[in-house]
Amino acid sequence: MRRFTVKRRGTKSASGSVWTIILLLPLFFSSLLSAQVPAEYFKQNCSSCHTIGGGRLTGPDLKNLADRQSRDWLINWMLDPEGVLKSGDPYSAKLQKEARGAVMTRSPGMTRNLAVALLDLIDEESKLDKSQFAGTQISDRPLLPEDIAEGRALFLGTMKLKNGGPSCVGCHTVNSMQGLGGGRLGLNLTRAYARLEGRKGLSAWLVSPPSLVMNPIFKEYPIDEEEVLPLVAFLKNETERDEPENATAMINFLLYGIGGAVVLLVLFDLLWNKRFRAVRQPMVSESYHK
Amino acid sequence: MDVRSQISMVFHLDKCIGCHTCSIACKNIWTDRKGTEYMWWNNVETKPGTGFPTKWEDQEKYKGGWEKKNGSINLRSTGKGRVVSNIFHHPHQPSMNDYYEPWTYKYDELFNAPEGNDQPTARPVSMVTGNPMDIEAGPNWDDDLSGSPVYAQNDPNFKNLTAEQKAQLFAIERLVFFYFPRICNHCLNPSCVASCPSGALYKRGEDGIVLIDQENCRGWRSCVAACPYKKTYYNWQTGKSEKCILCFPRIESGQAPACFHSCVGRIRYLGVLLYDADMIEDVANTPDDELVEAHRAMVLDPHDPEVIRGAQSNGLHDHVIEAAQKSPVYKFVKEWGIALPPHIEYRTLPMLFYVPPMLPVMTTMDGDAKKNMNEGLFPDFDKARVPMEFLANLFSAGNTGKLRYALKKQMAVRQYRRAVTVGDIAMEAAKKMLIEADCSIEEAEGIYNLTSLCTFDERFVIPPSNREEAIEMMKDPLEYKQSVGFGLREEPERGA
Repeated sequence: MRRFTVKRRGTKSASGSVWTIILLLPLFFSSLLSAQVPAEYFKQNCSSCHTIGGGRLTGPDLKNLADRQSRDWLINWMLDPEGVLKSGDPYSAKLQKEARGAVMTRSPGMTRNLAVALLDLIDEESKLDKSQFAGTQISDRPLLPEDIAEGRALFLGTMKLKNGGPSCVGCHTVNSMQGLGGGRLGLNLTRAYARLEGRKGLSAWLVSPPSLVMNPIFKEYPIDEEEVLPLVAFLKNETERDEPENATAMINFLLYGIGGAVVLLVLFDLLWNKRFRAVRQPMVSESYHK
Repeated sequence: MDVRSQISMVFHLDKCIGCHTCSIACKNIWTDRKGTEYMWWNNVETKPGTGFPTKWEDQEKYKGGWEKKNGSINLRSTGKGRVVSNIFHHPHQPSMNDYYEPWTYKYDELFNAPEGNDQPTARPVSMVTGNPMDIEAGPNWDDDLSGSPVYAQNDPNFKNLTAEQKAQLFAIERLVFFYFPRICNHCLNPSCVASCPSGALYKRGEDGIVLIDQENCRGWRSCVAACPYKKTYYNWQTGKSEKCILCFPRIESGQAPACFHSCVGRIRYLGVLLYDADMIEDVANTPDDELVEAHRAMVLDPHDPEVIRGAQSNGLHDHVIEAAQKSPVYKFVKEWGIALPPHIEYRTLPMLFYVPPMLPVMTTMDGDAKKNMNEGLFPDFDKARVPMEFLANLFSAGNTGKLRYALKKQMAVRQYRRAVTVGDIAMEAAKKMLIEADCSIEEAEGIYNLTSLCTFDERFVIPPSNREEAIEMMKDPLEYKQSVGFGLREEPERGA
């Protein structure tokens, strides 16, 4: 009997490792796939701050990048921007100054091979008259009051984003919001328009948000080009209004929380009203007071 | 007919002197561990009184046992749907306040106290928190406290009693009480087993002992709420529930359980009953006043050839059938009909029976002369201090007929034996009483012998456990014949 137990245990662990490998396979392939298409990667991770021949956004225009720095320096920079900056590198300090203090984020899944592929891509695209990464093709038309209203609806989620992405209010808030305000997980977007240096930068950000949290979410459900302009209009309006932060929102949040807890406790008490309560102590004290 | 065997018990309340030796024997063997301090698998209560935990018989509060509703029976405390909604907190859970907070004393303070003007005292400390505490309750807090306006007057068995009957019980100089020892009843329709969401409780096939599998118990405590006798307890140290195991390790080696073995008054009897398991559902469904009779009808005559055939075809060993034929429990319950189940209205079909107590011979001292307060030598139980309805609420779901029968027969046996040994009662009158009590002379002698002169082996008829056969039901012993000869506690790394 014992012999069988041992055997069974052996096969079990072997099949376990086979399963682990099978389960890990898709992960392996997906990383391979994304590495094979640097253009796709560029679009998703780089194009919100950089163009190739489209002028400066948050980061510099990358056209003819190879003329500016050696390839080694560029690869190191892409792998670890913070590290290069901290090492006291003068060129990176200059970049930071140009970007008004912003430092390039370390892109998700960046490897040496990927960096090389990206640099090759940038060189290729630089030779073209009009690169596919020359900047987002957002209309230059003036922003209308209707755009602000539509942007507000999109921000608050009363109007769903066309491609099914989550509405901004889930994580972000703006100071003009009443009641409890929006989500506190992400940044307060009241001054986002100013922070991203106006229409062009903000539009580029919205087309493919590069932040570590937003990128994986909006990669699959991107904000539609037609939705970008209303959102920009709305956020511009917020920056212009520049309302002070609503101090009572936090207190309200706390009060609503306490109120909700009380309501739940009362509800539980009613729901389990027939539960067992003390028997001996009431019996004894009642008898003494008779 | 589905014949099964059940180790059953009879407690003869007329013989109980309330010494609590049974409780202590049990405590010392089984519940002297951390987490079990408050448990009393065996306890002795004073009736009238509120018992342990306080007012356990009040099922309006504790929600134990089964409830007859729309032609079938349902658990009062839980159900298939309610298991889910109450899974994280069972709403009918007794708290430590309704048991008691176990305590000990700081005995070292008696010896280490500095010299002073006062006697050193040992302070009570809680065995749960370790902090000094005021003792407010204990497992037999109302011991001998009949007449107490706090405890005795709150006995749940006073329902249906008139105010007059109640007043009579509490009148000065007329106080009366009896003892009511309790262990797990090892029921035929156990609500604890039915309530367990983990399926950890089971009724042993070979002898009907109800057990909690400590490996499968997940501490939901449904059994604690569901048992109407409050005989499953939650161990706060191990996070699992525990209950009386009827000392099965002792039973399997042919010894009586500790509480039976140690009983000073020799009130306890133990033996096998054969019963028809096909009848359980119907019997548990009968109306209140027919329950005692229906329950008794399940018990089969071990001498009946058909029953013996049924038992054999169900795999019962001849030893078990033999033990059933000699069972003192069978005599008390079925042949004589003087042992009754406690609170059968909970419908768990308990397999522990009680011989109801006769009422005290009452005398007063008139100057130097002892004066009997009864008209005859023995009291007339219709004029007794303890109303018949009180005992009927306890032992026969309010059916006074069954109770009267049991008391009357016991009374007739006493009268008869008085006539035989002392002779101050006319034999003719005694025999007439026997006939009125539905009792033959042989039966009277039998009752007398098993009540008064019984030996150890007559009280405890324990069948050999035949463990080897029980094992054969699960495993083939020959499976091992040609395999490794020795079992190993831990497997060697190279494999066995």
